[in-house]
Amino acid sequence: MPSSVRSTLEAWNRRLHYYLGLTFLFFLWLFLLTGLLLNHGRWAVAQAANQRREVKLEQAIETPAGDTERARARDVMRQLKLVGEIDWPSTAQQPGRLSFNVSRPRDASQVRVDLEQNRVAVQHFENEPWAVFRIFHTFSGSRFNLAGNGRDWILTTVWVIAMDVLAASLIVMVLGSYYMWYRLKQRRRLGLLALSAGVLSCGVFLAGLL
Amino acid sequence: MQSERLYRWTRDLHLYFGLFVSPFILLFAVSVFFLNHGKLPGRLQTRSETFRDLRVPDGIDRLQGREAVNLAREILPQAGLTGEIGFLRVLAKERHLVFPVSKPGFEATVDVDLESRSAVVTRRGTSWWEALAYLHKSPGPHNVNLRGNWFWTRAWGWLADTTIYLTLFITMSGIYLWLAIKAERRTGAVLLAAGAVSLFGLMYAVIR
Repeated sequence: MPSSVRSTLEAWNRRLHYYLGLTFLFFLWLFLLTGLLLNHGRWAVAQAANQRREVKLEQAIETPAGDTERARARDVMRQLKLVGEIDWPSTAQQPGRLSFNVSRPRDASQVRVDLEQNRVAVQHFENEPWAVFRIFHTFSGSRFNLAGNGRDWILTTVWVIAMDVLAASLIVMVLGSYYMWYRLKQRRRLGLLALSAGVLSCGVFLAGLL
Repeated sequence: MQSERLYRWTRDLHLYFGLFVSPFILLFAVSVFFLNHGKLPGRLQTRSETFRDLRVPDGIDRLQGREAVNLAREILPQAGLTGEIGFLRVLAKERHLVFPVSKPGFEATVDVDLESRSAVVTRRGTSWWEALAYLHKSPGPHNVNLRGNWFWTRAWGWLADTTIYLTLFITMSGIYLWLAIKAERRTGAVLLAAGAVSLFGLMYAVIR
């Protein structure tokens, strides 16, 4: 590779490293701090995040419109002015009933509809500010071990795209940094030591050798 | 002279700490794609095995919380298992004790019959993606009083914390190193502001 092309690529690799870092700095801080909160449930802020205000209500509704359970659930949400991601129970719906949960970082509702009586029982939870903050870490509208639950709220999808872009940016930054380090001949040995320590300590867990 | 030394130290620590945590950052970043988009196949292959003549600690069904988990751990080596116990469920009427055990690449459910002192262990080897997701979510927010009952879960928790603190240092030192490049200050500031507006705008839209 001609040296001029190489130096241009290296300059852009370097720029990309700090441009991506600066663009996603606040996103990264959010996930780092919420990661700490998630892993330290005994901390006072984490305990505070576990407190929720609960409100129960029961009321009559119009017959939910729609051909599918999802469409009927959406109609019930419209009538109750609920907004968020729909979570379906892992078991099949009982005849004459429609059960689902609606959640977003701020609040969550368990909705139980009696389709024969056209009545709904709602258990609504308002999350504390620390809980709202913490939920952003896990708010993806999808669980890999739970079939049938897909994203159906546009803002969840946008948030997931942001998480994906952050993850992809981190991968690009790490790979780019390996190249920058490799080009620093004087720091190769100590760098290799640091990288090896990281690979070893991470790899032991990943390989399931324990 | 002093600021030059500070710059060099910051640059070197940014490099070496970055190299150390880079495998962890890759693990956490790659697993995001599985956590956000992955799905397990509908039917999972498991294998069941029965173990008899177990030494079941006395009073295990009467204790609760960490004490009960510590006793349940005595059953694991008898069934050839290692890993983190998720929780304990005592079926008092049936005199059974059921608990899940997991570690990266492996999960099992242990169903102990307290009367016959036998246990049925149903185990499953998980995929590489699941192992990544397991580590990403470990130790996690659930059952705080029980979590870390396996030494290696605690060790991973320390490494996850180290990753967070070192990454925080790397971001702060990164800001310092960026500010040292005068020609890049304006572009960098625009990108920093764009990132902040995107994040807080999105958070506002989600919680309003």
